[in-house]
Amino acid sequence: MTEPATDAPYIALKAVQKGFKIGAEAVPIFTALDLTIPRGDFVAIMGPSGSGKSTLLNMLAGIDSPDGGELRIGSARLDRMGEGARSSWRAHSMGIVFQFYNLLPMLTAAENVELPLLLKPLAARDRRARVEKVLDLVGLSGRGGQYPALMSGGEQQRVGIARAIVSDPALLLCDEPTGDLDRKSAGGVLEMLRFLNRKLGKTIVMVTHDPRAASCARRTLHLDKGQFLEERRAA
Amino acid sequence: MGYLGLARRNAWRKPLRTALLMVCVAIAFLIYGLTASFQHGSQGAAGASEDLLGVMSAAGRGQSLPMAYLPRLEAAPGVAAVAWMARLRGFAGAESNVIAVSAADPERLAAVNGPELGLAPGLMAALTGARDRVLVGHALAEAQGWAPGQRITVTAFDTPTAAGSRDWQFEIAGIFEGAGPSTDTYFVIARYDYVNALRARGSDSVDAFVVRPQEGVSSGELARSIDALFANSAAPTRTQTEKQFLEAFLRQFADVGLIINLVVGADFVTLLMIVINTLVLAVRERRFEIGVLKTLGFSKRRILALVLAETLFIFAVGGGIGLALAKGATLLAGASLGLVLAPLILGKAIALIVSLGAVSGLIPAISAIRSPVITALRTR
Ligand SMILES: Nc1ncnc2c1ncn2[C@@H]1O[C@H](COP(=O)(O)OP(=O)(O)O)[C@@H](O)[C@H]1O
Ligand SMILES: [Mg+2]
Repeated sequence: MTEPATDAPYIALKAVQKGFKIGAEAVPIFTALDLTIPRGDFVAIMGPSGSGKSTLLNMLAGIDSPDGGELRIGSARLDRMGEGARSSWRAHSMGIVFQFYNLLPMLTAAENVELPLLLKPLAARDRRARVEKVLDLVGLSGRGGQYPALMSGGEQQRVGIARAIVSDPALLLCDEPTGDLDRKSAGGVLEMLRFLNRKLGKTIVMVTHDPRAASCARRTLHLDKGQFLEERRAA
Repeated sequence: MGYLGLARRNAWRKPLRTALLMVCVAIAFLIYGLTASFQHGSQGAAGASEDLLGVMSAAGRGQSLPMAYLPRLEAAPGVAAVAWMARLRGFAGAESNVIAVSAADPERLAAVNGPELGLAPGLMAALTGARDRVLVGHALAEAQGWAPGQRITVTAFDTPTAAGSRDWQFEIAGIFEGAGPSTDTYFVIARYDYVNALRARGSDSVDAFVVRPQEGVSSGELARSIDALFANSAAPTRTQTEKQFLEAFLRQFADVGLIINLVVGADFVTLLMIVINTLVLAVRERRFEIGVLKTLGFSKRRILALVLAETLFIFAVGGGIGLALAKGATLLAGASLGLVLAPLILGKAIALIVSLGAVSGLIPAISAIRSPVITALRTR
């Protein structure tokens, strides 16, 4: 899965518009945003605070929708899908990693990872086997019984990554995944993401402030005032 | 961890809060079960007949009617049978252990009231053996530990015997069961001839006649025509159905009963408001987590089911415990207090439990699933 099957890009945004209403005032974020990402790419998106990075990622994740334009991922036209369809698309097609992990505190690490699998027709035993496998993959084998509150930030983020990949989605979205981590933990998480892209062929879109994080990506896009500025390809 | 496991983990994330909520629900439904059982039981008028008419003195309870009214009553059109009874109120042993004795003519009583009280022919035969024989109601016998063949003494409050004693001796000839669980059987049936002959005052008077109307005769109209019959006599009558009578009788305690009902009702409502409010807040606190679940692809319907499973779980456990306690109480104290936890009450209570559990889940769940994911995620 290193080359795209067709010439069509995996992710395509055409003239996407998006804004927010603050009170009576409409605040535009994007007026005509274009973006294409081939399958198997690893894209870092950088830019100043408030430039719309999270808004873009949320639209790619199907938890927010464009006001206009076209947004296609694989064969799914997200801009045309209703709430219910986007919900089931999310369950099957993408994994998401948050800056603050967003683990559920009353569940153990393993149970947090298991959550997306509850949406699949899997027996309890199969679910457990898959959870073990991904916890192993992120270097947390044997820690599944622990509660998130007792884990370090780096460990919690690795649980977050395990949860994002447990149902084996082709697309992985990360919103500042190392933003809350110390240098060493951040290094571990980035290593993890690089592995998922290079070895498992996941397409990754990562929003980050951290140039070191961006250097793990295949290319970096700079977002400012609702437009991409330049493109820099990693070596 | 399955899908229900997730709901259970949510419910038990604050074990103390959940346990207290369950206790609240349990107490609320214990109260509900007991009040409803009380109203449905023999203390209420539910088991009373709507056919039988009671003819009493219009001057009020405690005033008697002359036996001489009997032939005129029997001759009145629409009357199928007439019985009579004289009341003897007293106690056995301790003064607080009140015993009510109804003195009646056995055959007449069986003809008029037999089916309602469960007066089998064998019982009536046992009563004829000696004049001091009595039948004891099932509930009373159970409460006092009385058995057939036993001799009992009832000390009358205000009916002395001709010999000047207040102690009345009886021999228990049998136990009558009553037609159903809500029939009042907490009294003694004695023979009128015995009581009438032995009492010092009020000879040949009765406290009430009991009239069974003929088939197809309206009991309301018959009551009016009986009262018209005696309107101009020395002792005018007041005729009511047994049910009306019991209801009027119970209304004497209305001030107490109403207050009890109001207090109990207020408790019930207050407890449930606390529970619902707490659950609503508990789910609201979780807006963010619900947003995370939605991000992972949990549909609105799944989230609704998750929240409902949790609140229903709390209500089911709490309500189940409350109703079980109420059932236990009616079994332990049911006989003397006349408590009956009927299937109908149980059914209503279960319907109430389910709908309250659903409402307390629906209120917060609907607002949670309506709010867009990004709004929920920004709440942290
Ligand atoms: N739900 C929202 N309602 C109103 N304004 C929003 C909302 N989400 C984002 N914004 C605004 O949109 C702009 C871009 O936000 P965001 O995408 O979070 O930026 P970034 O992630 O690049 O810092 C900001 O000005 C932010 O205040
Ligand atoms: Mg952001």
